[in-house]
Amino acid sequence: MEATPPPLRNAGAGEDSDGGLRWLGALLGEWRSLTRLGAFILITLATAARRHRDNSEVMRPQVMGEIHRCGVRLLPIISFLGVILGVVFVGQTVSLMEQFGAGNFTGTFIVTVFLREMVPMIAGLLVLARVGTASVVELGTARALGEVEALEALGIDPIHYLVVPRVIGFAVAVVSLSAYLILIALGSGYLFAYARGLKASPIEFFTQIASAMSALDFPLWVLKTLLFGALTGWVICYQGLARPMTLEEVGPATTRTVAVCVVGCLMIDALFITVYLLL
Amino acid sequence: MPDDRRPVYHRVLAPVRTPPSTTPALEARSLGIASSTSTGGVSLQAVDWTVDTGELWVVAGAQGAGKTALLETLAGLIPAAAGEVRVFGRRVDASGDDDAGLRETRRRLGLVFDGSGRLFSALSVAENILLPWCYHQNRSHDEALREFEPLIGCLQLESILSRKPATLSRSWSRRVALARSLVLEPSLLLLDNPLAGLDAVHLRWWRGFLAEALAGHPLLGGQPLTIVTTADAVRPYVGLDPRFALVASGHWRILSNIEAVLAATGEEGFRDLTEPRP
Repeated sequence: MEATPPPLRNAGAGEDSDGGLRWLGALLGEWRSLTRLGAFILITLATAARRHRDNSEVMRPQVMGEIHRCGVRLLPIISFLGVILGVVFVGQTVSLMEQFGAGNFTGTFIVTVFLREMVPMIAGLLVLARVGTASVVELGTARALGEVEALEALGIDPIHYLVVPRVIGFAVAVVSLSAYLILIALGSGYLFAYARGLKASPIEFFTQIASAMSALDFPLWVLKTLLFGALTGWVICYQGLARPMTLEEVGPATTRTVAVCVVGCLMIDALFITVYLLL
Repeated sequence: MPDDRRPVYHRVLAPVRTPPSTTPALEARSLGIASSTSTGGVSLQAVDWTVDTGELWVVAGAQGAGKTALLETLAGLIPAAAGEVRVFGRRVDASGDDDAGLRETRRRLGLVFDGSGRLFSALSVAENILLPWCYHQNRSHDEALREFEPLIGCLQLESILSRKPATLSRSWSRRVALARSLVLEPSLLLLDNPLAGLDAVHLRWWRGFLAEALAGHPLLGGQPLTIVTTADAVRPYVGLDPRFALVASGHWRILSNIEAVLAATGEEGFRDLTEPRP
């Protein structure tokens, strides 16, 4: 009688602690990969700072190529997206608020929700989906086929040659595409609301939006979009290059990149919300 | 820090072709080669080896004997499991605190990988060949193309310059990889099984190239190159008068000439090395 209950209790306790341990292990694993990503980011920054003037004949076309690939080539789809967003979000918001007699708050609403939150996220996700995934596959394949060792054997620093241009390209692309997306969406949104009976002139409309912005909005907005882009670039290069890889691992690395980028961008978003709330 | 690092690339360009004659091109002392398949394992032990300038060495062994890992260790790409390697008197297996020095030493040796030579698949053949030179010399692609027209012609690569590596056959890819390592004018050339799977035409070209490079090719500065090549069959090297090293079951043996290799054929592990190719 006395002998039976303790094993049961022990078994239960064992399961609990096992589950707890596993959970702790997973958390520890996440923490470790986070610190490795952090180290990778620091190495990239150090390389970029130390060698920003070196090998310019090779590096300048490399950087311009990445900006072209992540930014210029996405202009058509971002224009399309801008028109749609302008109609479904900006236009509807403006005309609805006008109908409810809350027209005075339109500017604040659009700045807070659309300019600060939605646009950077949408531009970042679009660049990630259109260019980022292809980049991970490209880098992962190069890693798996030993091309990175070939670079090293030729005395070319892979961080300098492969990572720095990509991080710059993604950062510049997300900042400029976000700005472009805002202009298109506000323009098309105004046209939609005007067609639905908005009385305000374009100047009044844009003045209302501009007056809803604070002085710190612009630098914070640039910083946020810049961080979205740079983080995407870093995660892509980290997932594609940082570890030895086989060809089968390229697919999982790509999906992992998307997950990490989305979570990372949301965390940056959360960070900025606290900053905005404090202002 | 930035200022003492940056000029390194410019400084090393001049003395690349003039190593002190007394220093061996390559020196390995009790070198252990880490296994590429198992972590912590050792694929080759106790490599004691001196390669003098101007010599041709053939490291022969069956597939999986650790020849590629040996070359990658010599080039400083993977750390040695034991012992040390010196290239022109300088360690290549140094830890990460001397990145610039390590790269400088690496620039003096050219490594041509096996198979298709690990060309950069995103770049064209011309970009592949010229990238190292453009990067280190900070010159444009067009300048490099003018500079290396004779070399490209010598390697018969003019007609494929605009193609992507994926469209090339293995033999041509390997020749492009050779060109890519030659543009940096290395003093020591490490070739990973360059004669494997070549047809008669390519084989004749490679043998001719090796003979010319050993004698001092005018396009390579006229000085004799030191060449270490791996092989899974030794017969194609007969006539080039190489020195031989055999690797089998984790052991390293130096043999002075082809007769000694032929004499060793009775032993397990070496038999296939002297068989004619199928």
